[in-house]
Amino acid sequence: MTQLFELTINGLSLGAIYALIAIGFVLVFKATGIVNFAHGSILLLGAYVAARTQGDLGFWLALGLGAAAAATAAMIMEVLIMRRVRGVEAGVLAIITLGVDVILLTELSRRIGADILATGAPWGSEVVRVGDAAIPEARVAAAVIAVLVIGAFVTAFRKTDWGVAMRAAAADGKTASLMGVRLNRVAMSAWALAGALAALAGVFFVSFPSPGLDNATGLQALAAIPAAVIGGLDSIAGALVGGIIVGLVATYCAGYQDELSFLGRGLGQVAPYAVMFLVLLVRPSGLFGTQAVNRV
Amino acid sequence: MIDNATDRPRSPGDTPAPTASPLLRIQNLTVSYGDAGAALSDVSIDVAEREIVAVLGSNGAGKSTLLRAISGSLALEGGQIESGSVELAGQRITGLGAADVVRRGVVQVPEGRQIFKDLTVEENLRAGGLALSDRSARREGRDRAYELFPRLAERRTQKGGLLSGGEQQMLAIGRALMAKPQVLLLDEPSLGLAPQIVEQIGGIIQEINATGTTVVLVEQNAGMALRVAGRAFVLEVGRVALEGPAAELAASDEVQERYLGVVRDHGAAIEKRVRRPQSTRPAPHELSVENLTVRFGGITALEDVSFRVEPGSTHAIIGPNGAGKSTCINVLTGVYKPTEGRVTYGDDVLTSKRPHQVAKLGISRTFQNIALSPEASVEENLLLGRHRRSKSGFVASALALPGARKERAEQIGIVRDVAERLGLTRLLERPVHELPYGDRKRVELARAAAAAPYVLLLDEPVAGMDHTESARMSELIGDLRDQLGLSIILVEHDMAFVMGLADRVTVLDFGKCIAEGTPEEVQRNPDVLRAYLGVAETTTGDGS
Repeated sequence: MTQLFELTINGLSLGAIYALIAIGFVLVFKATGIVNFAHGSILLLGAYVAARTQGDLGFWLALGLGAAAAATAAMIMEVLIMRRVRGVEAGVLAIITLGVDVILLTELSRRIGADILATGAPWGSEVVRVGDAAIPEARVAAAVIAVLVIGAFVTAFRKTDWGVAMRAAAADGKTASLMGVRLNRVAMSAWALAGALAALAGVFFVSFPSPGLDNATGLQALAAIPAAVIGGLDSIAGALVGGIIVGLVATYCAGYQDELSFLGRGLGQVAPYAVMFLVLLVRPSGLFGTQAVNRV
Repeated sequence: MIDNATDRPRSPGDTPAPTASPLLRIQNLTVSYGDAGAALSDVSIDVAEREIVAVLGSNGAGKSTLLRAISGSLALEGGQIESGSVELAGQRITGLGAADVVRRGVVQVPEGRQIFKDLTVEENLRAGGLALSDRSARREGRDRAYELFPRLAERRTQKGGLLSGGEQQMLAIGRALMAKPQVLLLDEPSLGLAPQIVEQIGGIIQEINATGTTVVLVEQNAGMALRVAGRAFVLEVGRVALEGPAAELAASDEVQERYLGVVRDHGAAIEKRVRRPQSTRPAPHELSVENLTVRFGGITALEDVSFRVEPGSTHAIIGPNGAGKSTCINVLTGVYKPTEGRVTYGDDVLTSKRPHQVAKLGISRTFQNIALSPEASVEENLLLGRHRRSKSGFVASALALPGARKERAEQIGIVRDVAERLGLTRLLERPVHELPYGDRKRVELARAAAAAPYVLLLDEPVAGMDHTESARMSELIGDLRDQLGLSIILVEHDMAFVMGLADRVTVLDFGKCIAEGTPEEVQRNPDVLRAYLGVAETTTGDGS
């Protein structure tokens, strides 16, 4: 029972981090119709910049710098590459993002090499005790900050001019531009925000109990893609729910690895994709996604 | 009641002097979409400050294209301005993006309202005001919208998608007013609305204009538009065909004939085609539509519609935009399932079949917005129409076995024969996207005919054609009917075309059948005149 409780708390915390990543993924998709497979390497870039600079700047400043770097990278990608090919098929756009992903990932891997970079987070490896259960402080901090950031994002999305412009542009770009919404700016802001959220998530992702940032971090963070797909790819609420589901599933599978050993080792990494397939079998548009409607 | 232009200069007096320089000047505008030929050719229109100008024309005449060219949204639709200019108060706005044109004070209400369905009424209005940086101006704008449309105030927290059609139109207009436009561009605000609501919208347009906003009103509903507007232009196939004071145009024979379907006896009367049946094929069965009701969510697209199509006859379905005509065709071809009622063809129940099964019975259709493969040649497109009739399977065709080769040769022979009948022979090798609009419409017809159907469903076969082209099309369809002994079901806006070809006419309005009979009977029916032809009679009640 204690183990279940521990795993649930850890799973929720991991889920909140996945939700941060998935929200950015969904945001880019809603604003520009692009499935951005480079999201994982943009996350890695942000976390890398934060980890490299935290020695000199301290954790919080480094975190800000990492977020800024990832936001800038995402914005450059949108303005220099994606904007020029707007209007081509979705499949082609996705392949372009894969190309960017390969380039970015190769360069970052070269720089990281075999190192495991620490994030310098102030909460280290302390644990909080709740009854018999031990919850790492880092996980609690990650969950609290992720929830605050998500809350701020959702409020901005619902209440501010930026949010209204974003939602109007996502619902119907042509009409939104007839209302004076500048679609290019909306797209740019979506990419930048997605990058910043990813960097933030990336830093938490590699905090304790994870040993630190290494080559494989970007790949692991990609489990946020099934999170977004489970939620429906075009729904912010879906990204939240999908993130939580993936976080819980991955944590349970890792925690009960011995009981589930008949399914082989490393189930935690595969499980999010398995859940994604199951969800898509029942609901092809995801849990909260808009169903594709075709008018003849 | 509302005041849109307090902060803008206004000319003294309500009627602009004819010599005053126009607020909006469109000069020699030519617009095209890709290689599809010109959608607008050399169009020049001047709009004076505080004027209401109506732009009339049938589907595909270039009305929406004109508004897109003014509002800067043409590029978003894949179109480009080839030549000519648009000026606002002497300043060129051609080439500005849509968002910048809005900031200059020209705001378009798009066709089909296009409100943001998942945003609340209040958020929709807010989206309309995003171009204004001044918060108090936005608040004023919102209050004004609520004052003008009290109904929207009542529903401010509801999602836009839950509003009725009329309320959505009000929201779309209110949303556009939020940007404090100098010039308001309205694209078919009467689309699919009941007559009383159309009247109400007309009144609102006048009210908005009275406070100093210049209005350009694009309409198919000529009755309402000509009543509201001071001057009007008629577009036909991308050119200005007529222009003048609205009252004069409304009284002219030409406009009455063209839009009100009234046939005068001064020689322009359309001769009823004489039938020359020559078919030796078995006759089609009777097609019977029984008490058909179709609902989408809360919207009733068709309500209790019944009619019968006698074998070998031509049955027309007419009605204003949004009356349910295309829904009806989609039910007949098995694309939509009806909520109630059924359609039978001989002993078969079409409504329980899937689209390919319906096609197998020999029922083929054309599409309103041409659905051809643009890169493929005309011949390849027509061969696609023969697909249902080919027996060789995938493997036999891929290996080019003798049987498959022989069949292919036969197919090509049939396709060439159809092309010959429809005058497409010399176009057979050309890719479809190179052809002008009228020719593509004929290819679409030829493809449907190539399947050797018994029943042919034609969805607006002459939309966007001028009179000569549509007369030619009428002849081709008539010949086809006689040669193949077809039953034809025809959905069309062009009244003259329908009257010349149809044996019987069903008139839909708001999903209901309001009249049925011979073309002559229908033309005289007062309900039809009111609903479809936009001829106003005194209406009572607020109708919302």
